[in-house]
Amino acid sequence: MAMERRMWDLLLILTAAPHSSDVVTSALRLSQAMLDRGGSVRVWACGYANMMTQDTFGDTKLPNTRDPEGHYPSPSAVVQRMIADGGGRFGWIACTACSEERGAVHHVPQVRHRSPLRLAATIAGARRTLYLGGA
Amino acid sequence: MDERTATPGYLMIESKGNWAGPNAGTFLRDAAALAEAGHRVRVFLVEDGVLTAVGTDVPEIERLAAAGAEILVDDFSAAQRALSATTLSPHVRIAGMDAVAAALSEDDCRGVWH
Repeated sequence: MAMERRMWDLLLILTAAPHSSDVVTSALRLSQAMLDRGGSVRVWACGYANMMTQDTFGDTKLPNTRDPEGHYPSPSAVVQRMIADGGGRFGWIACTACSEERGAVHHVPQVRHRSPLRLAATIAGARRTLYLGGA
Repeated sequence: MDERTATPGYLMIESKGNWAGPNAGTFLRDAAALAEAGHRVRVFLVEDGVLTAVGTDVPEIERLAAAGAEILVDDFSAAQRALSATTLSPHVRIAGMDAVAAALSEDDCRGVWH
């Protein structure tokens, strides 16, 4: 008897580097919107998007000298919080090849590591897939 | 049944500004072609793509509207670019990312992000 496979509502393949444009913000906003309506979302980080979840960031960004008391979470802290708040409905995948090419192999423990050989299977496990960030 | 509801719907998400090269306009023209072919088309302008909605005579917006496409402008992207002080096309409507999430949750909606 075949094992029933979990289907995710949305897979976002995020190919853009952080800060290259608004695209990471868009990906996170769309993820949150899906979560807010009860859906499930996975993000596949491709290329420099793998820099977002490095454990070397810590929980906060560097102090903002115009707002020294402000709290600005690091990208890895944002992803960790969304995974924790998502209750199993939000997942983040680091591409192992992209991570190793960039020496970005120290991901926070909540991130799942996957070879690009599993990209097609990951797409097959989602009802919708969007590529964000260009080739 | 309306012929448009019997064919797949498309959510075309444009994130590129109209100065980013010819591809942005091409993407919107593709969306118009789909609408003219009888598909239900929704266009969501986000990030620099919202700038395409500025003004009242952008050819791509006019063609999309004439073809019956729904054109949405991301509220956050528009606010980040201070577009509230400008005149947007009368054919567009401000919407949030929840509209994208809702559309992508529909069974027959195909989403494309550019």
